[in-house]
Amino acid sequence: MSHHASPVLLGRRRFLEVAAAFGAVLAVPLDAAIARRGEVADSELTDWVFIDQAGTVTLGLCQPEVGQGSYTVLPSILAEELDADWPAIAVRWVMGRDAYKIQFRNEKPSQKEGASTSTTKLYARLRTAGAAARIMLVSVAAARWGVAAGQCETRDGWVHNRATGEKLAYGTLAPDAAKLPVPSDPPLKERSAFRLIGKSLPRRDTAAKTNGSAIFGLDVTLPGMLNAAIRIAPAIGGWLVDVRNEAEVLKQPGVRHILKLDDAVIAVADRYWQAQRAVDLLDVVFSPGENGHLSTALIDNLAEAGLEAEIGVPALSQGDALRIIGQHPDRVIESRFSVPHLAHAAMEPMNATVHVQKDRVDVWGSIQSTDATVTAVAKICGLHEDQIHLHVGFLGGSFGGKIVPSFVAQAAKAAKALGRPVKLIRTREMDIQHDHFRPNNKGRLRAVLDADGYPLAIHARVCGQSLFATTRPYWLTRTPLGDYDESMVDGLYQQTYAIPNLHVDVIQTPLPIPVYFMRSVGSSAGVLFWESFITDLAHHAGIDQYAYRRHLLRDYPAGLRVLDAAARAAGWDRPAGPDIARGIAFNTYFGRGGSFVSECAEVVELKRVGDRWKVARVVCAMDAGLVVNHNTFNAQIQGGIGFALTSALKSEITFRDGAAEQSNFTDYPLLSIAEMPEIVPVIVESDRPPQGAGEIMVAPLAPALSQALLHATGRRPDRMPFRAEWFQAHA
Amino acid sequence: MSVTFSLNGKPVTFDGPDDVPLLWAVREHFSLTGSKFGCGIGMCGACTMHLDGAAVRTCVMAVGHVRGRAVTTIEGLPTDETNPVHQAWNELDVPQCGYCQSGMIMATTSLLARNPNPTDQDIDQTITNLCRCATYIRIRAAIHAAARRA
Repeated sequence: MSHHASPVLLGRRRFLEVAAAFGAVLAVPLDAAIARRGEVADSELTDWVFIDQAGTVTLGLCQPEVGQGSYTVLPSILAEELDADWPAIAVRWVMGRDAYKIQFRNEKPSQKEGASTSTTKLYARLRTAGAAARIMLVSVAAARWGVAAGQCETRDGWVHNRATGEKLAYGTLAPDAAKLPVPSDPPLKERSAFRLIGKSLPRRDTAAKTNGSAIFGLDVTLPGMLNAAIRIAPAIGGWLVDVRNEAEVLKQPGVRHILKLDDAVIAVADRYWQAQRAVDLLDVVFSPGENGHLSTALIDNLAEAGLEAEIGVPALSQGDALRIIGQHPDRVIESRFSVPHLAHAAMEPMNATVHVQKDRVDVWGSIQSTDATVTAVAKICGLHEDQIHLHVGFLGGSFGGKIVPSFVAQAAKAAKALGRPVKLIRTREMDIQHDHFRPNNKGRLRAVLDADGYPLAIHARVCGQSLFATTRPYWLTRTPLGDYDESMVDGLYQQTYAIPNLHVDVIQTPLPIPVYFMRSVGSSAGVLFWESFITDLAHHAGIDQYAYRRHLLRDYPAGLRVLDAAARAAGWDRPAGPDIARGIAFNTYFGRGGSFVSECAEVVELKRVGDRWKVARVVCAMDAGLVVNHNTFNAQIQGGIGFALTSALKSEITFRDGAAEQSNFTDYPLLSIAEMPEIVPVIVESDRPPQGAGEIMVAPLAPALSQALLHATGRRPDRMPFRAEWFQAHA
Repeated sequence: MSVTFSLNGKPVTFDGPDDVPLLWAVREHFSLTGSKFGCGIGMCGACTMHLDGAAVRTCVMAVGHVRGRAVTTIEGLPTDETNPVHQAWNELDVPQCGYCQSGMIMATTSLLARNPNPTDQDIDQTITNLCRCATYIRIRAAIHAAARRA
């Protein structure tokens, strides 16, 4: 049993049966949970498999359910090898052991979700754990029957004796099985024997998410809990100078405390609505700090200047691109692109509930990064990390936004000051304005074509704020000319197109803006630059866009297969018709640190409706290795394209006087159902194990869309988001 | 300083100012947390409930406005086979993160009560709730499936 988790709280069968969702058990009062500690009589077979005497098989889940389906997909991998009775299993949140940690590049392994690694990194680990537990159960059954293990088979939570037809339930075998050593290298099933993996299992959390019983961070309620609202200094790096009417606001009904932080003020009250009202009433003076001059014009100017710099830090230099381009100034084709900062804007605003006691801290909330949160809270509370207990339920979306635990830290400070459980909820305005944003970027691409119209040489230059320099300087790549951030040139520096001479370089413009990863992060800029430029080159050469890309992929059959599948499904070989315009784009997505390789090609179809072009259909072909669950995989394709389309059409964070200007869905709008296109998912089957699947459909969407606009209107947008005027149809 | 109304068929009394948003009155005083806070300006629809059977956005509706009237939340809808919306939502596995879905279901139930067989255009005009996971394709399919079941 993990020393961090609340085993009793999460393991009680009744709750899991009633709720059919781990989220629901979070509603159990904390005090009751502590009082019941020690009641559990689970047998632990591996770090992941817990079986109680009543026979309930509980599977460990170390990756939060943010919507991607981890609550269904990951346990199904365990259950497959365990031969558990899938409809009857329970799922328990687990944390605090090495088995639950994932290594990201050169970092110390940690428990967190991100970078499309949940299934890719855990697939083999979970299969092995499930298979090991199965062998342990079989060993006990075989011994009881006095037969060889080979005479036993397992099915739906039972071990069967082939010879006699007898059977024993996992629950009766588990106590003895738990005493056996865990086999380290158990044989795994052949794919042909899979009963769960590769199928289309329904999600385990759907019922709870449709009847209102699913418990998100926002819904956590504890005895004696207070509620907090916060106002953060608007300017980045700003600070709190004065609260002028604190005494007056403290007299408002229910208001308990006004807590002044360096950069924010928090009101704590009995009810959240009282706390929010108190914050709204506060007469607060903030200083803009040192960044009051920061504006989007300044950010743009810095990036523009970087594009013109003599030398960038090279991320890739193959052949002799700079010389060839320098020698043929009259033949150079140049395009420029720009993407803004973006906010994650998950539907559930950031929130956390913290209870600080003398020797332990309990944290509930919308938390994507387990270990980082433990570290942050331990530091604030002056306790050891072992004393921090996280209770992670359902997250109302994250997309990378809930990895940085700044909102948990704010809640912890309030809880520490009050000595009672405190739930802090950011308003939508606080959630958007004080997000850690996807960085901005600008690209300048230059090419010289060969006699056939294909690229002889390309120089790609990217300039913007560095994600790694801001968040993980130890991930910067060192070169004699300086450091560069590979995420700024994702989609550019690792090429599967055959380009004989290619130079990719990077210029960082340091900015004080807090930035972080966001679904497909670097690729959502780099692939726009690259594929839009390929569009320009094909257009210039007068060659069909699909044929052009086929030619560039000639040495990479894995990509060609996916490109062909998308074109075939879209009917690319047939004329589009007068009121339809199409665009095609391709990307090989390399997981961070070489963790996976996924292929994705998309065809965007615009349809003319009156005097507007509307995104009507998107064909998305993907090779992401073995698809563990077709149901959730298709949902990722649908949702990922909707996410990408939101960025392409709408999303932009701008800055003025040091502060983000957008703060709610009025000025940071999301895609609506009326704007959602038809989506045709094309799964290109593969013998490879599961590869990253949650992010890779995002990047090709915008360049395929911009190419379709070029075909429709003769003009190609070069700046995200593509504003409404680009969709104007000519009479 | 008190407001009596019907909540999921039972009379309740909220002891507090009239201008508290209905969403927070229901979530904090009556412990029904299925309705969510998303934007606070009535734009995203995560807070959708029914007022006398029609969908309303409750993060911007004063509790005083519902005095003597009937409020229904997601918890007040039947979840068995008598509710075609739940059935369709479950069958098509609509939710991803799930946060917006109670609002989506409340908006859909209200739509179908007035328009049992909505066209795609009707859906576009009526279902203006927001979903960041973009589960819209399955939402649309589920609305049509629910209409067929009813």
